[in-house]
Amino acid sequence: MRFPERLAAFALAAGLALPALAAAPEDARNEMAAALKRQLPELAAQDYALGAAALDPAMRRAFEENAAAGEPVIAAGKALWTRKFKNGRTLAGCFPNGGRRVAAVYPQFDPRLKRVITLEMAINQCLKAHGEALYDHGDAATMGAVTAYLRSLSNGQKVTVRVPPAAEERFEQGRRLYYSRMGQRNFACASCHVQGAGKRYEDTPLSPAIGQATHWPVIRKGAPITLQERMRECLELMGAAPFPAGSDELNTLEYFLTYLSNGHTMQANAWRP
Amino acid sequence: MLLRALLIAPALIAGALPANVQAAAAPPAFTARDKGHCTACHQVSDAAAPASRADLGPRLEGARMRELGRIRLRELIHDPTRANANTVMPPFGKHRILEPAEIDRIVEYLHALP
Repeated sequence: MRFPERLAAFALAAGLALPALAAAPEDARNEMAAALKRQLPELAAQDYALGAAALDPAMRRAFEENAAAGEPVIAAGKALWTRKFKNGRTLAGCFPNGGRRVAAVYPQFDPRLKRVITLEMAINQCLKAHGEALYDHGDAATMGAVTAYLRSLSNGQKVTVRVPPAAEERFEQGRRLYYSRMGQRNFACASCHVQGAGKRYEDTPLSPAIGQATHWPVIRKGAPITLQERMRECLELMGAAPFPAGSDELNTLEYFLTYLSNGHTMQANAWRP
Repeated sequence: MLLRALLIAPALIAGALPANVQAAAAPPAFTARDKGHCTACHQVSDAAAPASRADLGPRLEGARMRELGRIRLRELIHDPTRANANTVMPPFGKHRILEPAEIDRIVEYLHALP
């Protein structure tokens, strides 16, 4: 089954209230912001980027105490970023400003390919263009490390993802997927991160959808976990077969989710227990 | 000070004993991650249940469980979306996360909660 057909099947199965169909991206973002404000009236919007740590003082303290947890990973990523290819070029040479302030504008829509291109895909496009072996999306030692470094070059920048008119269909696919119930447990992403935002699952507060895309990869037990790897973990918890990292499903989901964080400050390599 | 400690210690031990006894009452399907994992979302009015701050679902109180009754509880665990399409609670029976006998044991446990 191809992606749009699979998405239609999920949409049919969806029981969670999906806000107005095919909303313009900015309307969808404003609608989400209003819903989260109702759900979490005490939480300042600028703290959304802290994720679960914004909702638990003890977790926030631990988060701050471990702010440097990603440094070894970032150093490893920097080595990959500046490593010379066989042709003498580098990853840094594929991106403007050597990669500074780049991550804040990803994912992007490629009008020629009619696909959403994530930062991880852009890295692999560069490797492919120079005849280098591609990085596995789930490999912490390569893709995880290099994105940890590249995203750290955008720390302090505001997320600024654009959805041009030609990309609205992809944005909408991501939005519908976010609200679609999936798997044996019948959860949607929105079940926890909109409807349940601020409540606790087990002992952990559920982070609000807005702000979630600002701090990836996270550093867990010293290793980087990319946003799509985390989405795959969520899908497994939901009892669904996870989409592959780099699939159109996860790319559109990341596109939607990152657009929601527009205006929020990036702080990659957030520590997680 | 010593006298106070001696008075408090037996009280703590006495408080712990019933908890250990009650712990056996929660069926494995109620807590197991690959089964109901009910404590991931609900707090339970059972001192022996795993301590949790979970609140995605309402606290499970014996009086409310008995008010609902066994038939209704069984229906809700089987497929809560029939009562509320927007609920985030999984349809444990409909999606075969729990076997009918496991649902029956959970219903009995909930019905007997304090």
